[in-house]
Amino acid sequence: MAANTFPVSTVRAAKPVPWGKFFSRFLIYFVLTLGLSFTLLPFLMMILSSFKTNVEVLRVPPTFWPETFTFENYKTIFNDPDLPLLRFYGNSAFVAIFNVCSTLFTSSLIGYMFAKFEFPGKKILFGWFLTMMMIPTQITMIPSYLILAKLGLINSLWGLIIFSAVDAFGIFMLRQFCETLPNELIDAARIDGASEWQIYLRIILPQLGAPLATLGILGFMHSWNAYLWPMIVLQKIEVRTLPIILTWFNSTHTGQGALVMAATVLIIMPILFVFLFFQRWIVQGFTMTGFK
Amino acid sequence: MTDKRKAGKKSAGGLAIAKRRFVTGVTIPLLLYESLGIFVLGWAFVLMFFDYSSGRVGGPILGLGGTNPFIGFGHFIEMIKGTSVEANLFRTSLKNTLIFAVAVLPLNLAITLPLAWLLESIGSRFKALYRTIYFLPVLTSSVGVALIWMSMYDPQAGWINAIIRFFGGTPVSWLSDPRAGFAGVSVAMWAVILAYLWQDYGYNMVIFIAALQGIPHELKEAALIDGANPWQVFRKITIPLIRPTMLFVCVMTMLSSFQVFDIIQVMTNGDPGNQTQVLMLDIYKSAFRYQNMGWAAAESFILFLIVMTVTIIQMRLLRTDWEY
Repeated sequence: MAANTFPVSTVRAAKPVPWGKFFSRFLIYFVLTLGLSFTLLPFLMMILSSFKTNVEVLRVPPTFWPETFTFENYKTIFNDPDLPLLRFYGNSAFVAIFNVCSTLFTSSLIGYMFAKFEFPGKKILFGWFLTMMMIPTQITMIPSYLILAKLGLINSLWGLIIFSAVDAFGIFMLRQFCETLPNELIDAARIDGASEWQIYLRIILPQLGAPLATLGILGFMHSWNAYLWPMIVLQKIEVRTLPIILTWFNSTHTGQGALVMAATVLIIMPILFVFLFFQRWIVQGFTMTGFK
Repeated sequence: MTDKRKAGKKSAGGLAIAKRRFVTGVTIPLLLYESLGIFVLGWAFVLMFFDYSSGRVGGPILGLGGTNPFIGFGHFIEMIKGTSVEANLFRTSLKNTLIFAVAVLPLNLAITLPLAWLLESIGSRFKALYRTIYFLPVLTSSVGVALIWMSMYDPQAGWINAIIRFFGGTPVSWLSDPRAGFAGVSVAMWAVILAYLWQDYGYNMVIFIAALQGIPHELKEAALIDGANPWQVFRKITIPLIRPTMLFVCVMTMLSSFQVFDIIQVMTNGDPGNQTQVLMLDIYKSAFRYQNMGWAAAESFILFLIVMTVTIIQMRLLRTDWEY
């Protein structure tokens, strides 16, 4: 019983196993570092390969460190008239920014409406959104494609944007958040004569900074890395987004491993640093929502 | 709450009208947009009862009928007992998808749960660094992941075969040898499973870490004081307390692996000999390569049923009777 009054750390230190503790510490770090190397090594291989020559990259057994350190692959890519990288970055950025802006606008507006307004049919409409959330995109993929074909939006970046203007999940998340905002805030603004749109823009939106940032960065990442739908919609080369360009580049440069790795570095690394910078929001978004 | 009502009464009808106008202004465009959603969904539903191809003109309404005839449950009957190439390929894809999902889930848990637990037990400075690095592949485009792993799997110059040769083994053509296999599953399938796991484990790790951080420290301390060893604490306290998270992680991992597409399409495109042909890949090829869209719609419906079933089971299982 007396032991209970001691600080916990004292009790632990009194255990006569400093050796075992040291050993288990060591083991923990060993296992974690092993996993860490397994995570990092493929990235490292990619970067190192991109500085090798296309001959060296085929050598058996493979060299770890490039024997002749060359920037030739990067030069080739930058000078390749068939691969205007900036253009493809532009395409990806255009789609991602439009998608993010439209979903942030619609999610906050509709989420706010569901949280703070009463109107007939509200429950039915919200139930409909919840159902839409559960329907996987592949079931709507084919008719969506047929609609785009009818509208002449195949090979148009707008084809990637129109179907993701409203995000049921974003609405759900922001409704939850708006419900926590005090009604007094809104009513005070109303009494002061603010219009409903002014309340949304000046009072509600500034309160939603954190969830909008989370939703925005998740949406950006989702759009930036999207592969299947852009591949279906964008069939002409010049309108493609980065992931499709990367597979296209790979299929047209078989046997030039180092060159393909350099292209991979150029296409995935810059944005990876941006995502790393926003990692906190992404992790928070994932753990908060549980959705990828 | 009473304030709100009073305020509403005081400013007469003007406020109520403004509110109604706001709600109408938001809901009407929303309803229009959502009716597009209903239309798309309805079309998807109808499509699977037709032998539809966008290459044929067909009837007047949405190209259905005429040269795109109504065949009722024809596609589904064909899937179950048909002998055509598509029917066989569908059954192979379904089997491969199940193999993929069933292999990924336990492997993922076996990696993520212990690593998250170990990571949770170390100092916070290192914790952040380790977590960031483990999370890198999650942020990476899956096409990039696929290309990196393709270079690692290269039969001649790839690192994996280099390691095998170093230990005196025989190199394997990971992504193209249709005969080699392990535990009844082809090596190509194992290869894509490994690449998929590598990309995915950081995601489940952060979820587990968040759950582990939510366990009150007093519980573990108390058990340790009572003489429990760390393993007992893990089994008797940690595991039961994160059970809801575990179920959640299981279901999310299952769902995303049923819908796997990117990595496999880039790495093998279903080869060798359709050994890595999964359902999403089959749907994609049927619809957009062979223009067999009615069939593809029927296949997506089967995938949808699987996803729905898993989701419903999740909702049943996730109910817990206690809190801490």
